[in-house]
Amino acid sequence: MVEHAGHLPGLNREALRWREVSHSAWGENATIALPELDEAQAATLCAHVRDNARARLKRMETARIVDAIDAAIARLLDREHPLRRKAEHLLPIVTGYDRETVRLGLTGYLKTFRKPQLLRFLAEDFGNPGVLDGFQPTPKGGSLHAHGPELLLHVWAGNVPALSLWSLICGLLVKAGSIGKLASAEPLTAGWFASLLAEIDPKIGECLAITWWKGGEAAAEPVFLRAADTIMAYGGNETLTSLRAKLPITTRFLPHGHKIGFGVIARETLDSRKAPVLARLAAHDVVRYEQQGCYSPQMLFVERGGKVSPAEFARYVAQELAALAARHPRRALSSGEATSIAAWRGAQETRAMDGAAELLGEASDNWSVVHVEAPEALSPTGLNRTLKLVAVESLDDVAALVAPYRSFLQTAGIAASPERLFRLSEQLGAIGVSRIAPLGRMTAPEAGWHHDGRFSLLDLVTFTEIEQSAEAAAEGFAPYVD
Amino acid sequence: MTQAEIIAALKAFIALPDASDAEFEAMALQVFAYQFRNNEPYKRFCLQRGRTPLSVRRWRDIPAVPITAFKDLTLSCSPPEAAERVFMTSGTTQGIRGRSYHPTLDVWKRSMLVNFRARFMQGGERIRMGILFPDEAELPNSSLATYLSLAKRECGTADSQAFIDAAGLDLDGLLSALEQAETSGEPYALLGASYSFVPVLDALAESGRSFVLPEGSRILDTGGFKGQSRELGPDEFYDGLSAAFGVPRASCINMYGMTELSSQLYDDGNAVCPSVKSGPHWIRSRVVDPLTGADLPEGQRGVIVHHDLAHFNCVAAILTEDAGEIVPGGFRLLGRVDGEASKGCSVAVAEFLAAARG
Repeated sequence: MVEHAGHLPGLNREALRWREVSHSAWGENATIALPELDEAQAATLCAHVRDNARARLKRMETARIVDAIDAAIARLLDREHPLRRKAEHLLPIVTGYDRETVRLGLTGYLKTFRKPQLLRFLAEDFGNPGVLDGFQPTPKGGSLHAHGPELLLHVWAGNVPALSLWSLICGLLVKAGSIGKLASAEPLTAGWFASLLAEIDPKIGECLAITWWKGGEAAAEPVFLRAADTIMAYGGNETLTSLRAKLPITTRFLPHGHKIGFGVIARETLDSRKAPVLARLAAHDVVRYEQQGCYSPQMLFVERGGKVSPAEFARYVAQELAALAARHPRRALSSGEATSIAAWRGAQETRAMDGAAELLGEASDNWSVVHVEAPEALSPTGLNRTLKLVAVESLDDVAALVAPYRSFLQTAGIAASPERLFRLSEQLGAIGVSRIAPLGRMTAPEAGWHHDGRFSLLDLVTFTEIEQSAEAAAEGFAPYVD
Repeated sequence: MTQAEIIAALKAFIALPDASDAEFEAMALQVFAYQFRNNEPYKRFCLQRGRTPLSVRRWRDIPAVPITAFKDLTLSCSPPEAAERVFMTSGTTQGIRGRSYHPTLDVWKRSMLVNFRARFMQGGERIRMGILFPDEAELPNSSLATYLSLAKRECGTADSQAFIDAAGLDLDGLLSALEQAETSGEPYALLGASYSFVPVLDALAESGRSFVLPEGSRILDTGGFKGQSRELGPDEFYDGLSAAFGVPRASCINMYGMTELSSQLYDDGNAVCPSVKSGPHWIRSRVVDPLTGADLPEGQRGVIVHHDLAHFNCVAAILTEDAGEIVPGGFRLLGRVDGEASKGCSVAVAEFLAAARG
């Protein structure tokens, strides 16, 4: 069976070219057909989405959009719904993550897009979400109306299942006509979600499209890049740089580059009762999505002076990783991924030769933990369950070890007492960390979070402002003027 | 074993016409025991893997050190400051060069010569040589300079010449030597770094010149292009050599050597690429799964590990960064092993380093 990816309103499916890609994992195969549009089809699609957004979405009440999203999410949360079943069946084959990881991940993630959470999203960025529907009075006087882009292009990366929903929903909430470019590594969820929305509210369905092209190569790419007025893009710095170079200067570019996450563990949390629990939570953050997420931890800074030493804590974490490996097996690695792990392990082993590091786990285990006693700057690991623990004298030392990598920072997982949580957060915030999460929740940001420290919705809109004096001046021309 | 004993044993081993599996194993275990005892960082590395001379029974179980370790650590069984020679890699990743310490060059030279005579000289005593590389006086830390100087001294005729020095390439000198060789009817050998041949090929192509060197002439290139010249694909490169010098591709021999080793590996010409490479009886190569270190079956792509017993003072077993596959008669070299950027949105090491370098 071939699963057709995407959602292409206004185009005739039969007239399109499809590229079939095979995936296999866990002893099963799936063939995904990705749409390949030519220039004319791309132009038609852009016009269709833009025109419909202008005519329909822009005139809709935000509440109606929220209801439609809520209804779509409810169906995806319903484990008996055919699409949910399809997702649980196909996503493990396509992404390689084990079934349980996908199932639990989907549920947890989708829950953040139900109506109350969506309203929170809106409230988070707009003091008065009514500004999306029309002019609203502002405290300083005058009135404001927020407009989303007419055509918002999403360029997705990554194989964290359903990650694309995040930006897609943000776009819809600000009434942007949206075109999403699927990532080859996870080409399914966005299209399913769009089709579901179209079923629930056909008018909304005409205002968004999901397609695919091979980055930098396809004939259709320039058409999309020229047509969009705003682009939200995910990927490595190199990809983003080359993408930005192709855009007209007037296009608003909202890049989300690759990030590195880390954890910080205070001595007061390290006793024989709390440490094993923390180790389990840390291991969970590492295992979930195999450290592919921007929020995934790659390094833990562990403070000395607790009842459990950093070296002992490293052993706890290793033990938890071993336990999780049995329950959630690591997905099969490509040879490149295996090489990355091997290179990282090799470098750690070299340091162990000097006595500076201790490597836990055999090469044949599907996880690796290295523990170093000397302070060390933040650095990425080999991913796919490779973690480094660095012992530090005091957590006040951490900011300096992390500061050089400001442009890569996003999430820090912190285990510390309330007072120290705030002190550390001040220090880390000052050097560019934008999200503080508890261990165990690093890979599950809460609804309405400020991705990379920015406003998810506010960054997308422009305001039209009626100045107070304009309103006053208009009074002079009213029919009722005295 | 003392250093003198291990050196004597190795010289005797190299002098053997060949070695059986059992003989190689016995010598490999002796070298391992020596290195385990005298090389502290290596000992730690082995202990980390739970391997000691008592537990290791097969040469394949001797832990192989990643070659990056030669950059970060002093891997030497004798005091490094007393080394007769230190070879350094040309690679300057982050300005750090890998080092191999040689308390004596005796074993290194013997390994080089016995092997060079068998694989390149092909039974001949001496051949007139043109060397496209600076000599060892100019580059004392270059194992390749030492290699080529030794080849010229021991296997070249008196009128052999080097055509690259501090002043650069002596193209006129090279061309007149090639002309002489062409008319003399005596075989000629051109040896150098792969990248040294590129400007010569370019100059010949530009002036429309080419040579037909006498039968028995041959070429030895080594080391690839390393960003020192433009990159040529193997077929383009050997076709170019063959057309420029009139030496059949089967007589264009590629040597695969490393600063981190004391022996070299050769192919038997490059009529077909990638060629099959092999070493003498005191070096054995494996291809392993990079993650587990387990041997891969013949024909399966993995990472190459060399066990070079002549490298007695440092570490005999090294894990390279080269991809390859075992084939009958040796292994095929399939280029560098490259890590893959993550598919997700977390930073991978390569990207991080690239960005950190700016």
